[in-house]
Amino acid sequence: MTLRSWSLLPVRLVATVLLGAPLGIVLVYSLLTRGDYGGVEFPWTAESFTRLLDPLYLGILWRSLWIATSATVICALAGFPLALFIARSGRWRNLWLQLVLLPFWTSFLVRTYAWIFILRDTGLVNTTLLSLGLIHKPLPLLYNDGAVLAGLVYNYLPFFVLPLYATLERLDGALPEAAADLGAPPWRTLWRVTLPLSKPGIVAGSVLVFVPCLGAYLTPDLLGGGKTVMLGNLVQNQFTSARDWPFGAAVSMVVLLVSALLLAAFLRHRTAQELL
Amino acid sequence: MKGRGLGVWAALTLVFLHAPLLVLVLFSFNSSRFTVWEGFSFTWYQAALADPQLAEGLLNSIVIAAFASVIATVIGTLAAYGMWKRPATWLAGTLYLSLLTPEIVTGVSLLALFQWTFRYLNLHLGLYTVIAAHVAFSVAYVMIVVSARLRQYDRSLEEAAMDLGATEWSAFRRVTLPYLAPAVAAAALLALVVSFDDYVITSLVAGVDSETLPMVVYAMARRGVSPILNAVSAFVVVVFGALIVASQRLQES
Amino acid sequence: MNRRAFLLTAPALAGCATDARPRLNVFNWSAYIDPAMLQRFERERGVRIRYGTYESNEEMLARVMGGNSGWDVVFPTHNRLTPMAAHGLLAALDHTRLPALRNLGSRFQSPVWDKTLAWAIPYMWNGTGIAYNGAQVSNIDSWGALWRDDLKGRLTMLDDPEDVLGACLLKLGLPFSSTEPAHLAKARAEAIAQKVNLRAYLNADVRDQLVSGDVLAAQLWSTTTAQARAGNPQLRFAWPSEGFPLYCDCAAILKESRHPELAHEFLDFLLRPEVAAANARVAATATANGVGQHSIDPVLYPPDDIYARGFWPPPLPPAAQRLRDRIWTEIKSA
Repeated sequence: MTLRSWSLLPVRLVATVLLGAPLGIVLVYSLLTRGDYGGVEFPWTAESFTRLLDPLYLGILWRSLWIATSATVICALAGFPLALFIARSGRWRNLWLQLVLLPFWTSFLVRTYAWIFILRDTGLVNTTLLSLGLIHKPLPLLYNDGAVLAGLVYNYLPFFVLPLYATLERLDGALPEAAADLGAPPWRTLWRVTLPLSKPGIVAGSVLVFVPCLGAYLTPDLLGGGKTVMLGNLVQNQFTSARDWPFGAAVSMVVLLVSALLLAAFLRHRTAQELL
Repeated sequence: MKGRGLGVWAALTLVFLHAPLLVLVLFSFNSSRFTVWEGFSFTWYQAALADPQLAEGLLNSIVIAAFASVIATVIGTLAAYGMWKRPATWLAGTLYLSLLTPEIVTGVSLLALFQWTFRYLNLHLGLYTVIAAHVAFSVAYVMIVVSARLRQYDRSLEEAAMDLGATEWSAFRRVTLPYLAPAVAAAALLALVVSFDDYVITSLVAGVDSETLPMVVYAMARRGVSPILNAVSAFVVVVFGALIVASQRLQES
Repeated sequence: MNRRAFLLTAPALAGCATDARPRLNVFNWSAYIDPAMLQRFERERGVRIRYGTYESNEEMLARVMGGNSGWDVVFPTHNRLTPMAAHGLLAALDHTRLPALRNLGSRFQSPVWDKTLAWAIPYMWNGTGIAYNGAQVSNIDSWGALWRDDLKGRLTMLDDPEDVLGACLLKLGLPFSSTEPAHLAKARAEAIAQKVNLRAYLNADVRDQLVSGDVLAAQLWSTTTAQARAGNPQLRFAWPSEGFPLYCDCAAILKESRHPELAHEFLDFLLRPEVAAANARVAATATANGVGQHSIDPVLYPPDDIYARGFWPPPLPPAAQRLRDRIWTEIKSA
């Protein structure tokens, strides 16, 4: 047996047993009936999926899409200039890149927790503003959509910057230069030349930010104070306090489907494949 | 002018990324438990060290991350090599999808798998299940990092070795693997970090002996914000920062 | 030993196999026992205890539901016992192995939820009421006060559908555990009306914010309030006039347990007066042990006339559970 023939065996095993089979089980769960105290029972039914058409759950889906989109757009607005700056900073590139990466590699919980520490009434921002006399009572910074967005953007910004940087770095520097030589003002060069050429990086970054934001559950829970429901919270709630596993499984399948569609669309960009 | 605007923007973004962690680390040395600076102290570090649950969580996290990252690195490296030799679209798609699956969905589906199969095997949730889950979600990271390096690898090198009489296995071991070594090491560190950090999936598949550091940290945060958390966080930030710098060095060399 | 064998066995070695003593796996609420008592049990019986903690009944249930969690002893709240027993998760108690049962307080010898103590032993109990900052807000004595405008932005409710809907129902003069759709629709309207004044839905996390003064009033458990008062003596606790739920966390043995005898010994150990008192002191909560009562703090042990307003919520029927979950989702996404 040659190396090339068995080198894929372990990963096929993992992909089948630990990635494929569990999703198969979740699919089966989503088509069964809810047990009275959790778990699933026969008969088969598609009721969990039809329930998703309820305006209440469509509203949550819409809201999650909206928050994930906002987070992606903010990441793009903050991340594009940063990636461009790093790509143009010559020999300092690696230093900047490591600085972008460093917080990302620290614990997710720690990063979210840091925001509570900063945003609460007796947190850093309010304490500072109060002691400077700029405000007279604490601003309600924590437990709203703004805090959730801040947490999401903070957690996923590096996901956007990295693939975009990779594209910008490979970009032929001669093209923007040619545009400039031909008399195009810098913003116009950016808009007409650099931006279109960096599309694969923007697409990759957007997918990498959007998908985890769509399924986020800890950030809305900790920074949103439980006042907002996103798809991740809905799933978590169905498997715990609501004890409705089929419905939780159905919502999971929908989230997964959206992710898979985005992935498929993304993989159709050949240049995008190079980036992953 | 425009260049300077870009620099200012980049600096602001970097401040946004780093300020929260710096503040956290700074206040881990505060002697007061509130957000008012009262003086330098190691109180919270002493309290963290004295907490047996934290120590146990840390030990479990290290054991789990060590095993999961070694296993995932072996499997992921072989996978990257195999796919480099012969593309496997569906397999690659499955692995990419595993990267993009929301953690809560991965966790719930793995819990369903373990509960369903273990019922017949008379096994318990525990370290094994957590390690298996961590291998499942970190294989894709390893594969991507190693694949990136393989793309720059000249196929003819391995072929030349085989022309000179090396078997496929020894060509891989003597020629390809040394070339891949920095990427493999970086991938292993990445897997280590991803495993060490995970909370959502771990908390779902954990059993009796597998309470990890993030689980202890989460439980503490839920009971109320305490500066002990700042101390633990600062510790995690420093250790992870060092690991990542080390991994970057490896990748560059 | 070759490398592969090492890979297979090492997690087991690292995890448990370093010690041949029998091992009892105890899964309890966080900060709900005196660690010294665990060591004492280990010493006395020559066994080891593996102690893990959880933050909610749901978290515990999700883990033990499959029947292969590995835990021996868990501490469900009283109204989870019947569903757990119906699901075949609990082992019936053998009273001949529990001579110390006589130490239980008179209220817990034959509680409404488990008249014969067939499934579990009452361990600690507390109630849901209102914690508030006595220095900054005027007197609060009813659920209705939580809709007051002066609490705007400084008020939290528990992140728990049963308690939030229950408080709304009690405010309306309706039963806490009502399953009537009409009642629940009214409760939903109340909860949504209150949401504009609400800072967040928080459980124990609110403690520090009460201490620091971020939050002025919170729907909260008496135990958590007692703990918070240690940090801020201005905090007061109201047992609401409309009535309030009481919850008793009970020690139960899982059917999957591989050490039922040892588990019984542990339960009997918990019933010893001095052990119960030490645990209650460390957890700052009320013990169900009549002999081991360690304090007379009225926040933990309400006087008889107040206690009479309390009730032990029964388990919710599955259909009502589903309706309530939907309403809870509606409130949360309002």
